[in-house]
Amino acid sequence: MARDKIYLEEVFPSPFMQLWQIFRKTPVAMAGFSCFIFLVILAIFAPILAPHSPIDGQLDMLLLPPAWHVDGNISYLLGTDELGRDMLSRLMYGTSLTFGLSFIVVVISLIVGVVIGSLSALTSGIKSSFLNHFLDVILSIPSLLLAIIIVAILGPSISNTVWAVVMVLIPQFVHITRYAVKEESRKDYVLASRLDGASPFRILYYSIFPNIVDRIMSQATLAQSAAILDIATLGFLGLGAQIPLPEWGAILANGLDLFYIAPWTVYLPGLAILFAVVATNLVGEGIRHALKLRKER
Amino acid sequence: MLVFALRRLNLFIFTMLLLTLLSFSLSFLFPGDAIINISGAINATPSELVEIQKSYQTDRNIFWQYSAYLRHIVNGDLGLSMASQSKISSEVLNLLPATIELSLVALLIAMFVGIPLGFIAAIKHNKPADNIILSVSMLGYSIPIFWLGLLAILTFSINLGWLPSAGQISLLFEIKLVTGIKFIDILLSDSPYKWQAFADASAHIILPACVIAVAPATIFVRLARTSMIEVLETSYIRAARAKGLSFQQIIFRHAIRNALIKIIRHVGLQFANLVTIAMVTEVIFSWPGIGRWLIESIYQRDFTAIHSGLLVLACFIFVVHILTDFIYAALNPLARGNKYGS
Amino acid sequence: MRMNSIKLIVITYLSLLTLWGCSDESIMSLSAHSIIYCAEGSPETFNPQLVTSGTTIDATSNQLYNRLITYQGKDNTLTPALAKSWHVTRNGKKITFYLRKDVAFHQTDYFTPSRLLNADDVIFTFNRILKPDHPFHLVSGGSYPFFQNIKLNQLVKEVEKINNYTIRFHLSRADSAFLANLATDFAIILSAEYAEQLSKQKLKANIDTHPIGTGPFKLKEYRVGSLIRFYRHDQYWQTPAKIEQLVFDITPSNTGRLTKLLAKECDVTAYPIAHEKIAQHNDLTLEAVTALNVGYFGFNVKKAPFDNKLVRQAISYAINKKVLLEAVYQGKAELANTLLPNSSWAFDDSIPEHEFNPTLAKSLLEVAGFAQGFTMDLWAMPVQRPYNPNAITMAKLIQADLKNIGIKVNIVSYEWNTFLSRLKRGDHQSFLLGWSADNPDPDNFFSPILSCAAAHTGSNRTFWCNQTYDDIIQKALHTTNISQRKKYYLQAMKILAQELPLLPIAHSKRYQARVNNVTGDILAPFGGISFYHVAKKARLETIIKTENTNKNNTVNLGEN
Repeated sequence: MARDKIYLEEVFPSPFMQLWQIFRKTPVAMAGFSCFIFLVILAIFAPILAPHSPIDGQLDMLLLPPAWHVDGNISYLLGTDELGRDMLSRLMYGTSLTFGLSFIVVVISLIVGVVIGSLSALTSGIKSSFLNHFLDVILSIPSLLLAIIIVAILGPSISNTVWAVVMVLIPQFVHITRYAVKEESRKDYVLASRLDGASPFRILYYSIFPNIVDRIMSQATLAQSAAILDIATLGFLGLGAQIPLPEWGAILANGLDLFYIAPWTVYLPGLAILFAVVATNLVGEGIRHALKLRKER
Repeated sequence: MLVFALRRLNLFIFTMLLLTLLSFSLSFLFPGDAIINISGAINATPSELVEIQKSYQTDRNIFWQYSAYLRHIVNGDLGLSMASQSKISSEVLNLLPATIELSLVALLIAMFVGIPLGFIAAIKHNKPADNIILSVSMLGYSIPIFWLGLLAILTFSINLGWLPSAGQISLLFEIKLVTGIKFIDILLSDSPYKWQAFADASAHIILPACVIAVAPATIFVRLARTSMIEVLETSYIRAARAKGLSFQQIIFRHAIRNALIKIIRHVGLQFANLVTIAMVTEVIFSWPGIGRWLIESIYQRDFTAIHSGLLVLACFIFVVHILTDFIYAALNPLARGNKYGS
Repeated sequence: MRMNSIKLIVITYLSLLTLWGCSDESIMSLSAHSIIYCAEGSPETFNPQLVTSGTTIDATSNQLYNRLITYQGKDNTLTPALAKSWHVTRNGKKITFYLRKDVAFHQTDYFTPSRLLNADDVIFTFNRILKPDHPFHLVSGGSYPFFQNIKLNQLVKEVEKINNYTIRFHLSRADSAFLANLATDFAIILSAEYAEQLSKQKLKANIDTHPIGTGPFKLKEYRVGSLIRFYRHDQYWQTPAKIEQLVFDITPSNTGRLTKLLAKECDVTAYPIAHEKIAQHNDLTLEAVTALNVGYFGFNVKKAPFDNKLVRQAISYAINKKVLLEAVYQGKAELANTLLPNSSWAFDDSIPEHEFNPTLAKSLLEVAGFAQGFTMDLWAMPVQRPYNPNAITMAKLIQADLKNIGIKVNIVSYEWNTFLSRLKRGDHQSFLLGWSADNPDPDNFFSPILSCAAAHTGSNRTFWCNQTYDDIIQKALHTTNISQRKKYYLQAMKILAQELPLLPIAHSKRYQARVNNVTGDILAPFGGISFYHVAKKARLETIIKTENTNKNNTVNLGEN
């Protein structure tokens, strides 16, 4: 059989691919990754997968315990709440709100943050120093507090929560990108392509980005877990998703009054949040672990 | 040290300007009349309103208005709460100490649990103990704080009946509010039940403080672990080992001190984080602190309270931040020369 | 080194804690003479004359004050209180009260009385309400909603002092509900001497914030949104209360109150949720009293589209009350067809039953010109009240019902006092609220909730004002003939069924839970709660349990 290529080419996988090679060999990280993918699928297909409506209740099925309980009903696997709404469906729809929105939030703030960060890495002088100070002030305020401030200005609602969390996360991405770009630009290969006459943007795009993408990914997982917790906490405090949206934190807050007679309305959304955050953190840990191993190679 | 202090002072002034500017602009961003938002005088008669407008110089340009606002703040006048019509400055003075008390206890718990665990993990690097500590700590910072609080109440207050579920102290005890920090107030009071009150207050603080401490403790575990691993790899430790010092001697005499210094730098940052967690926890444990008050103000759209409360809280966090920077600099001479932000 | 010294401190501290925990029983004596009551909200003021809110009444009326006369017994007969007897002339226009001579006012940090209660105090109290030029009338806003709703100023011509212990009310006409109204929780007696002191100090407003009364308890401390501390009034004219300290722990969260009860951090709790859970605990008692009340869904008729009768009717047909009763009241309430509860003597079976008919609702909406539906705000109370244990859940159910006929509902809620004051201002479109009767007279439902006078004072939050209706309820008041009054009230109810300024939903019981060692009645069928009869049995098991708890505490500390 004829070979496509005449001579053996030594393949250099991109830094990102190298990372993936290491990542897939860590079982815990892969478990987290599959949970993550599972949540993504759930978030997208919740309307198809969910057996019941998350908002309209079945009024003859109030406060049904989960199916494994003696009084449970198999068609309401995780029970119902005080309005007869199926907990399973609510949690599934909640995936697209809490987890899905936090994913979108991270993507938006990542893009904005990376753009601002890399642009600012190219600047210097007073502008840069001001930005430095400004970022430090913003970063020293905890993200949840900042989100609460922004929601207090905009008024409680799910869309305002999203904007608040986006605005909170942007500075983190700006900071990490700026730092990483500056660090990379000092390296020789960047100097080489600069000597070749490449424009700053070309350097940024072809030389620097492939080398910092993993660090940004790692930051993204941190941001994602923070975003999930922030959205859920705001929902819990009644500052985020409003009645009757099935956001996990809001479901939990709604279950508070039922804590002693229908504890599953509190346990389940809490577990869902925990599951999503753990999955995200496992992926993040996996990436950071792989980053370390790659460096050591 | 002087240069360091000046640099920090510079940062402090810059931040305060930024924060007051933010708080000032909030009054325009909130719905309603800016002057009402800033002063909170919703029931003011027309003549009173004219008086207020004069004192905030609303007839002059925005710069003058801002400086008038600054003057009010410097004089300790944060306006009136729209909901209760009482002075915000006095409300904050009553509530902030309770939050500080809770956060400090939580910080101590987090440090006393987190740092030793982190050291153990570092010493047993890559052994089962290390992995267990790391996994538990990951669970710790993944758990939603409000959920953890509820579970803690259910377990320790209701099912086991060990600890009280809400408040700072049993309401049976009448303790006069002096400093706002309950333990000090109790010691200052002349109640015949002083010591019982003290024990009761201690029992009340355990549960919320432990709940708050969980997340920062896990951060301390990781910080302590990383810095200990770094220290153990340094040449002076190797030298000490070569000299024939026992493992215990190395750890207790040399490693812990050097590892601790690195952690102290992060205490300030963690404190900010901790105060936010405390805000949520205060809601769950009905702790009479500034966090619960602030969140209730948001529910009630009490804009004066929101923007003044935020200003106070942000200032407080920043002051702690700078204080820890100073402590760090005092402990570690190397840090003083470092350029800002590194 | 440092670690060691800190360890030492912690260990010393723990051992000290253990010592205090075990060695002392005086803490038991403190708790044996104190009651902690978990209340659902903060009072707006400490003077019940100024409000109609049940939360304020609960915290003030029966604790701090007394009335001239009061209700007693199962059949609610009027009995003497501050007045030892009274006399009504045959034409019903002159009513004379003979006061007790042994009634002492509270002595507190801010006031020391120099004399006992006399006619001046009674005259001061009523003139403050009646005379707009009275120096204290405008203090705290000059609004006395209950008295303005019953038009007391038109009814009472004069309050005359006969002698130091005798006063006479001169009425402009006979009024069948007058004595009943004087026995309500609103008609409390203030101290004229205290008022005088305050005028001198230029602190007039304190009369309502730093209360002085004759009741079984006196105010010691109040922290807004946190607690009210009462001490026993030792010179009370009846036997002093059995407990020395009464603390209202203000806990608006339903779960919070239940948690505190389960953890024994309160002795008594208002409006408990999760009745099943309480029933499971042998050391807790759940009690209920059939209260005269009504929970309703009201419309602000001053705001579009609720100025249109058809829209109101459409909404009433669209709402499935049976489901509301099941989901919100757990089936433990009566379905309301009109304002009056079935237990009132003026209730009449001939009032048509409510009909659930979404199709009819939809066609009515079309007739009204809202075929496409509309968006509305629904204000739901943030707190639990006897007439509505969970307004937010009810609002969600109404939201679902109205969605079926094309109406989009936004649910709005504020903190309780803000909620009430905004309702009073008329910021709302529609709202969930209710009314608990202050006395057994049926007029107590018709006048305060829906009369034109009440629309002015803001206690009629629908702002509906109908002259025919007002005339009928006035006529009903002027007659003392029961069957004639009943006919008038039937007419009034028929107008309401047509006009629908509000949709009555349920008549419910009032619930309360307590730890078993607390004895004595607290709840009453109408009006506020009273802690006068409450006592606490010392329990041996409690002491043992506390000791265990303390030991456990220290063990737990050690683990940290």
